[in-house]
Amino acid sequence: MNRLVITILGIVAAVGGSAVVFVGINKLYDLTEDRYALFNAVAGGLVSAGVFGLVWGNRLVVSPVVVWLIAIAVGAATGYALGLFEDPMRRLASGIAGGAALGLVLGMRATASILPSIDPLAAIIWLAVGTGLGFAVSAVSGGQIDRLRSLLAGGAVGWLFGAWLAADFDGSRAEVIVVALVLGTLAGAFVGRRPFPNRIARGNMAVASRKYIFAGPALVFVASALLFPLVRTIWLSLLTGNPRDLQWTGLTNYGEILTDPGIIDFSGFGEIFSSNMFWLAVVLLGAGFVTGRIAGRRLGGNFAAGGPSLTMLAFGVILFGFALFTSIRGTIPNNLWWIFSVIVFAVSLGLAVAVLADRSKGENIAKSLIFLPMAISFVGAAVIWRLIYVARPPTDPQSGVFNTLWVQLGFWSDSTTASTVIAAILGVVVAGVVYLAWRGWQAEANAIVAGSLAIAAGLGYFIYRVVGPGIGGVAISELTGELVADPVLFIQETPWNNFWMMVVFIWIQTGFAMVIFSAAIKAVPEDLLEASRIDGATETQTFWRVTIPQIYPTIGVVVTTLVVTVLKVFDIPKVMTNGNFDTQVLANEMWERAFTQLNFGLGSAVAVLLFIAVLPVMYINIRRMQSERLG
Amino acid sequence: MTATSERATATRSRSAEPRPLGNRIYGFLRSIPTWFLWILVILWTVPTFSLFVNSLRTRDAQRGSGFWNAFSDETFPTLDNYQDVLFPEVGAGLGNALLNSASIAIVATIIPIAIAAFAAYAFAWIDFRGREWLFIGTVALLAVPTQVSLIPLLSAYSTGVRWTIPIVERTITLFPDLDLSGQIPSVWLTHTGFAMPFAIFLLHNYIAGLPKDLFESAAIDGADHFKVFWRLVLPLSVPVLAAFAIFQFLWTWNDYLIALTMIGGNREALPATIVVASLAGEFGAQEHLLTSGAFVITLFPLIVFFALQRFFVRGITAGSVKG
Repeated sequence: MNRLVITILGIVAAVGGSAVVFVGINKLYDLTEDRYALFNAVAGGLVSAGVFGLVWGNRLVVSPVVVWLIAIAVGAATGYALGLFEDPMRRLASGIAGGAALGLVLGMRATASILPSIDPLAAIIWLAVGTGLGFAVSAVSGGQIDRLRSLLAGGAVGWLFGAWLAADFDGSRAEVIVVALVLGTLAGAFVGRRPFPNRIARGNMAVASRKYIFAGPALVFVASALLFPLVRTIWLSLLTGNPRDLQWTGLTNYGEILTDPGIIDFSGFGEIFSSNMFWLAVVLLGAGFVTGRIAGRRLGGNFAAGGPSLTMLAFGVILFGFALFTSIRGTIPNNLWWIFSVIVFAVSLGLAVAVLADRSKGENIAKSLIFLPMAISFVGAAVIWRLIYVARPPTDPQSGVFNTLWVQLGFWSDSTTASTVIAAILGVVVAGVVYLAWRGWQAEANAIVAGSLAIAAGLGYFIYRVVGPGIGGVAISELTGELVADPVLFIQETPWNNFWMMVVFIWIQTGFAMVIFSAAIKAVPEDLLEASRIDGATETQTFWRVTIPQIYPTIGVVVTTLVVTVLKVFDIPKVMTNGNFDTQVLANEMWERAFTQLNFGLGSAVAVLLFIAVLPVMYINIRRMQSERLG
Repeated sequence: MTATSERATATRSRSAEPRPLGNRIYGFLRSIPTWFLWILVILWTVPTFSLFVNSLRTRDAQRGSGFWNAFSDETFPTLDNYQDVLFPEVGAGLGNALLNSASIAIVATIIPIAIAAFAAYAFAWIDFRGREWLFIGTVALLAVPTQVSLIPLLSAYSTGVRWTIPIVERTITLFPDLDLSGQIPSVWLTHTGFAMPFAIFLLHNYIAGLPKDLFESAAIDGADHFKVFWRLVLPLSVPVLAAFAIFQFLWTWNDYLIALTMIGGNREALPATIVVASLAGEFGAQEHLLTSGAFVITLFPLIVFFALQRFFVRGITAGSVKG
């Protein structure tokens, strides 16, 4: 109960506090026109509170709370005076009085460890440099900035550096009082020198303030959570050592990463030539190219991308990618494999669902259910799929969906009756599919022919395995010679365990792709589709020649968004394997290096690699925004 | 009369298409794509459903057979797993962690919405120099991976931000050491910062599309930006604010990385995702609690999802599709 109260109080404080600050500042600036003195008093108090907050935070004064409260009071009083007096001399006098008072307080209560021994020469040089810079600024501004104020500001900063920051801290109380008094006087004169704004200027002040008040907080958050940390991470990636004592090391961290066999390892590359997948991919790519070439010749061009050639090329590319990424191992290839599979499958499945569900019966139910995993956390999804993938010891019954089916299939394919029944049922299906291909051939619908033949070939091979050599999760026990279950260790068996984790991600992200494609397809103008139908195009042709070109930009958006999301994938590998069994990805690698091994340099270098990987996406996004806003 | 004409039509159509059986098979097979849709739908639903069913089964039942055998269990359904994971006999349960999750998600949803709405208004309707570039620059940061900021942010929360002034070599503290790491406010601040680019992008698209006359007539009536924002823009933007709120709420509720980094070892402040993930790390003994734990943390997003799906979808599609 106590926890509940604390939680609620925390929420109310955070939300209420932020609201009060924002509304308060807006209300404050509403005062400028009619109640300028009040506005100035509050503003003066706030500025003092900020400056002396920094003093407090840096432990420059003893009894900081008292000093802070005095500073707020003095600041408010000075502000009030400046809001009241219009005569320049009285303004200057009250500014100097306020500044000097604050300086005096600061000097009197300064901690013993910061008493400077003033080096007159250094102080004068710095003062000269500061005023010189002030003069330059006012000269460059061409009279926009008041000459004297510019000199005062430059002088104050120069004095601060020369008399205090550059000095040795072994001086006396008198010296610190002198430093603070002069500093206060210069700053006070700077404030007091400002002319009294007339009614119009005060009105403009209120208007001009809004852009800072409205855009400011967001920009502060963006800068402090993204921009500065980014710069700092790039800097950290050039350092090495423990977090308390970092030393410059140049590009060593990057060298270490790129030569680490755990991160990128080409040694298995030769195996690609002994993998069936690779040769199948080569055959498919070749056949797809030849088919496209023949179709192209027939139409009088060079290459025509039709259903059969595209199908073969697409499958060829997928198989080639898988052959490549199962032979080159390591963190970076793993990440590339993630990007490859997630994009291929999430985009194609998302597009397929969007198209099939469009205007079909039960569209909304189908789309909701496909989209549902988007609401589930990666942690929840990882747990869900662990249950699906779980492999029990061979002697126990299986409880994971995949292994139950796989082991059962093994026993079936071993038994003559069961395998005959399976072969008979699938044989009928194959016959149907072949018939479909034949009908498609008659109707000159090449896509149907290619698709049906591909399905028939796959099923045929499956029947052969069931009847012939056997398929499924069984093995012959070496001890007893009996047939025993041999489940697949989906999470442990490398390299395919990577793919099983990608499946989880695809399961989640297909919904995202589908929702966006669905909206894009519905936005394709109806008259375009109508025109193509009137011209005699089939539904398939309309889809490939009209709908797809119309949604090209959307495909771009989905792909770039997915690239960014996939690069950041962390939770799924972390929860499912924690990077063991060769499943490391960059985000997890970064976390391990930085927060488990406490090697900030290496962790930052991995983070910078991630950042470099998204740079092309950032470039594309910026270009897209520019063109959208201009046209 | 009618019967004759019907028969005549039937005969005519049969003579036009000589293989009615073939056509029927052909039509049947042509509808395979539709089955494909529903097969996918079933495949997509089974995992979540199996988690739910398993969460209602005892440990032995879960280990002994697949979820589809649930109805042959004598003990099905049982709420013991929920009892054990929420209110265990030893140690703290998920209850505490769920409160932390709620605290993180509620605050890290409301504050970014407010801040981003002001900024989106400024980028859309307040004219100032550099506006275009600030906007594009902010939104471009959308693609920056969170990992890039983690180390500097964590060290800022745990030891403050110091800056060593060049030449004089004196170090000043810009952000004091508040010892925020391990505390929930550090997660609020981090989420707020990371949410900004997307929030500004989404809200700006909508707010910039409000009719211009509205702002002109308000300006003639003498309303300043604050009044226009408060009285006009906020009420009109409720749909997009809701869309972003749902998106951000699910994001922060489901977040694992940021909470793990910023809260780390402080068990008191851990959100539910981390507690469930650490259950997943303990193989064996706690495995059956994983199902109920995972379902508890999933249940809330699912409710939000089904109740407010329309807004959620709008949030995701807005801006990525033109027209």
